[in-house]
Order: sequence, then structure tokens, then C-alpha cells
Amino acid sequence: MRRPLSFLIPLLALAAAALLPLVSGPYPLAVARSVLTYMALAISWDMLLRSGQISFGIAGFFGLGAYAAALSVLRGGMSPILSILFAGVFAGAVALILGLVILRLRAVYFSITTLALAEIFRVIIQNWSDFTGGPEGLVLPKLIFNGESKSLYWLVLAAVVIACAASTMFEKSRIRLALSAIRNNEQSAAASGIGIFKYLLVAFVVSSFIQGIVGGIQLQGYGFASPDAVFDSNYTLLPLAMALLGGIHGTPGPVIGALLLGIAAEFLKLHIPYGHLVVYGIIIVLVILFMPQGLYGLLRSRRHAVAPVAENRVDAGAWGK
Amino acid sequence: MSTLETRGLTRRFGGLVAVNNVSFSLDRGEILGVIGPNGSGKTTFINLVSGVYLPSSGSIMFKGRDITSDAPHLRARAGIARTFQLIHPLQSLTVRENVMLGFLFSRGMRLRQARVEADTICGSLGLERLDRGVAEITMLETKKMEIARALANNPEILFLDEVMAGLNVDETREMVGLVQSVSRRHNIGVGVVEHVMSVIRDLTHRVIVLENGEIIAAGPYEEVSRNPRVIAAYLGGAA
Ligand SMILES: Nc1ncnc2c1ncn2[C@@H]1O[C@H](COP(=O)(O)OP(=O)(O)OP(=O)(O)O)[C@@H](O)[C@H]1O
Ligand SMILES: [Mg+2]
Repeated sequence: MRRPLSFLIPLLALAAAALLPLVSGPYPLAVARSVLTYMALAISWDMLLRSGQISFGIAGFFGLGAYAAALSVLRGGMSPILSILFAGVFAGAVALILGLVILRLRAVYFSITTLALAEIFRVIIQNWSDFTGGPEGLVLPKLIFNGESKSLYWLVLAAVVIACAASTMFEKSRIRLALSAIRNNEQSAAASGIGIFKYLLVAFVVSSFIQGIVGGIQLQGYGFASPDAVFDSNYTLLPLAMALLGGIHGTPGPVIGALLLGIAAEFLKLHIPYGHLVVYGIIIVLVILFMPQGLYGLLRSRRHAVAPVAENRVDAGAWGK
Repeated sequence: MSTLETRGLTRRFGGLVAVNNVSFSLDRGEILGVIGPNGSGKTTFINLVSGVYLPSSGSIMFKGRDITSDAPHLRARAGIARTFQLIHPLQSLTVRENVMLGFLFSRGMRLRQARVEADTICGSLGLERLDRGVAEITMLETKKMEIARALANNPEILFLDEVMAGLNVDETREMVGLVQSVSRRHNIGVGVVEHVMSVIRDLTHRVIVLENGEIIAAGPYEEVSRNPRVIAAYLGGAA
């Protein structure tokens, strides 16, 4: 609205992303699919972060989605596309029920609880062998689109579009004001009539829904789910590092961060196996210390003479409360 | 029955009784001073009425309804607004957005309408350039914004917790005028907590005095300011 660029750039980026399979070889396309997968997760994580709540449970709801999709196909005879939707709804429903309890927690207590939840999901699925296949996991007899890589890529791109749309909806509506107010000061927010719990619940459920969908797609893409594979802590760590690097509290940051770090991670994995984990850690620390507003924040403060820089940082105060 | 009434309102923190058996009432259009030495329970009393804390005992009636255990955001919507002694403006939002909140969430307006209303109310308080962040505005502007934020809820009762603190003499005089005109124009009952006695004298119709959480005197300022117990409380507090 403000400037035509802010409308044009996302559109061009989407067009480029959509056309990529027509020009790209199989390996770059696989990398791109992985980048997009993490991108959707990074956006979803940031959507909750806007309320001040820092989740370490991305892998939990992602894995839950993967298993919901697998079981709905294997035990419920659901169609692949429907199973992906079901994965989102299931993860969202679990978030709704658990959120009623854990969204009373704040700061580090909330974060640790989300981390513990992801572990609990994994342990339950691992031990409920009759139903879930236990530690060996589940294999789908048939992949969506028969495993055709271009269509799979577009499916993941669709998830990114959904995540971006939801995130933009948060930004353009009263939800942004509510979440920012809650993040800044809950007493002030409540004094302006904001129902804090309701908005926390909305953010938590929507972000878990997206994570569930991405998990469902991942399952359909690989045709395989095991507790160790789908609850891998990488699914929490990488999106988090991406959002921090790109810039938090908005859609562009996680997108930029996912592009850069996703591609970098691919090279690192080739050249120094496991070295990529060290690099994520270093990036997280450096960004929090020296560039709390992220790359996009930096870009913005260059363009506007006076920029509200102070807003974009993981609120250290929230951890000290 | 008055717009706002408390009966036997009491709040303990561990062994400390911060507010002790306070019964009071406030009507629309009235300006009430709430004074007392440091730590006498003024802020805690506002926190009880606005729902930040629940009372240990006693009750709060608003427009004939018992709101003793209502959540803070429901009280804001019902018509009890407040400012905070330790101001915490929302630093991720612009001045305009700070003021829009009440219109959006207390009154349920849409964004566009809330923006227009926020501009109007800020204009009436002499608050301009609303696209600024709250870190960029002066103390006086911050105080005006806090009042605008409170008014956005369309309150019938408004508590101002040391809203003059940090202002110079001229600014204080301007704020006194603003509070008076706001109370008159919107027919709001205002509870003013203030340490500056000239402000209490100029502004209020009636005063209650707290000491150790209890009301030790009530009445017009001239009367209360001559009360030996009140004088003793202030001297004791200063000593
Ligand atoms: N959350 C709390 N926990 C424990 N004690 C508290 C709490 N809030 C207030 N108190 C205590 O209650 C008493 C009353 O405090 P309150 O802030 O209401 O006083 P006040 O009259 O507003 O003082 P001041 O003029 O300094 O603002 C003080 O002794 C204070 O330490
Ligand atoms: Mg106080």
C-alpha cells in the first residue's frame, strides 16, 4: 500500500519460486523444497513470537502432523491431500487443548514446556507401537503424486503461501496490534480491553496448524515417518535460527533468513557433516548480540531515516520477569 | 447508588495489609483525590479496582453490578480506565496505535474507524505527529498519550496514578486543565492519585486520605488538609 515495491517484490518472488521446477535440475529442486519447508516453519514460529512467547516446540507439532497424516492414510484410508489438511487440524486441535493450560506460562517457563511437549509427543508415539508403528516408524505404500518431484515442490510452495497469507493477515489486522501490545506489556494491553489469553491462543493454534500441515506434507514427500526422523530437533533449531537471522516480528524476515541459511546449510552439510549445527548456534548467538533486528530490520533502518529499531528484538526482559 | 463503589476492600501481600477495609464511592463527573504517604496503598487500590489484583476480601460494584472477580480487560471494556504510575507505553507501536487499542478492543471498532477516532481524541488533547514511536516523544506527550489511551476505552470512571509526576510547573498546569475539561466533556468520574498538593487542591471536589491501607480522612481538600491525623501521617511519612 505504502510503496508499490512492497507489493511487487513478494509477487515476483512467488512467480520465480513457482517457475523454478521448469528450469531447475533435480538437485537444486530438492534443496529448494527443503528451504521452503523450513521457511514455512520459520514464519509460523515468528507468528507466535510476536506475542512474546518463545516456542521451542516446532518439531513437536511438525512431527505430530507427520504422524497424523500417516495414520489417517494407513488406518483411516484418507486421501493424501485430505491427510495433509487433517495433519494441520490435528496439530491445531492439540495446540488448542494444551494451550488452555500452557499459555498461562510465560517466558522461559513456556519455552521449556513446549520443548518438553515435543519430547512427550515423541515418547508417546515411540511407545504406542500397536497404533503408531513404534520406533521403526511407518511407511506409506504409495506417495502423493506418485512421488513426482515437481508437484511435491509446488505442494510445499503452497504451504509457504498459506503461511505467508496467515502471517500477513496477522500483520494487517488488529491481531498485530494485540500481539505487539501483549509482547510489550500485558497490564497495559489488558487496560485497553485486549483479551490476552484469546490472542495467545489464536497465535498458538494457527502457528501449530501450519507446523502440522508442513509435517503432513513432509510425510507425503518422503513416504516415511519415524519418531527420530520427524521429531528431529533440527526442525526446531533451524527455523528459529532462520527467523532470527532474517528478522523477527514480520513476514519478510523469516523468508529472507530461510533463503540464506537454508542454502548455506546445504553447502555446509556437504562440506562439514554436523558442522552445520555449530554454524546455526554461532549464528543465533551473533545475531542476538549484534543484530537483534535481523537482516530485514537492518535493511529497513537503512531505508527509513528514523526506524523503530528497538521493537525488533527478542525481548530479553521477558526472560527476566 | 454511585457509579463505582467498593465495600470493605482489603488486599494482603503475605503479612502486609496493603489496602485495608476501604469503602468508597465515585460518581460520573466527580473528581476525587486519593492521597497518602508513600506505600499507603494508593496504587494497590487502583490495581484492585482495575482488576490487576483480586481483593483478599470485600467487593467492587460498578453500575450496580458486582465486578469483584472480573478480568482486567473486561473491566476496561465495562468502563473503568486507568493510567499507570510506572508508565509502560507500548514501544513497538506508534503513538496513534497506542491510542487506537481502546477503540479496537474495548469498543470493538474496525481499524479504519479506530484510526480516525484516535486522531480526533489526540487532537483534542493537543497531541500531534502521531506516527512517531513512543521513544521519540516528550514526557508531557507521554502523559497525554496515556490519558488518550485511557479515554479510548470510553470510560465512565478513570484513575490517574501520579500522571503529573515528572512534569514542570507549566506542564502540570496544562494537565490540570486537561483533566478538568476531559472530566466535564465526557462526564467521567476521575480518581486522581497525586503527591503535589496544589494539584489536589485545584482539581478535586473531594479527597480520601490513605495511611497503611486505611482511609483515615475524607472530605473536601480544605477540610482534610487541616485534619491533625492527616498532617501527622504526612509528617510521619516524611520523617
Ligand atoms: N505485588 C506486591 N507484592 C507485595 N507487596 C506489595 C505489592 N504491591 C504493593 N505492595 C506493598 O503494598 C504497600 C502499598 O503499596 P502501593 O504501591 O499501593 O503504595 P502507594 O500508596 O501507591 O505508594 P507510592 O506513593 O509510593 O506510589 C507497600 O508497602 C508495597 O510495598
Ligand atoms: Mg503508587
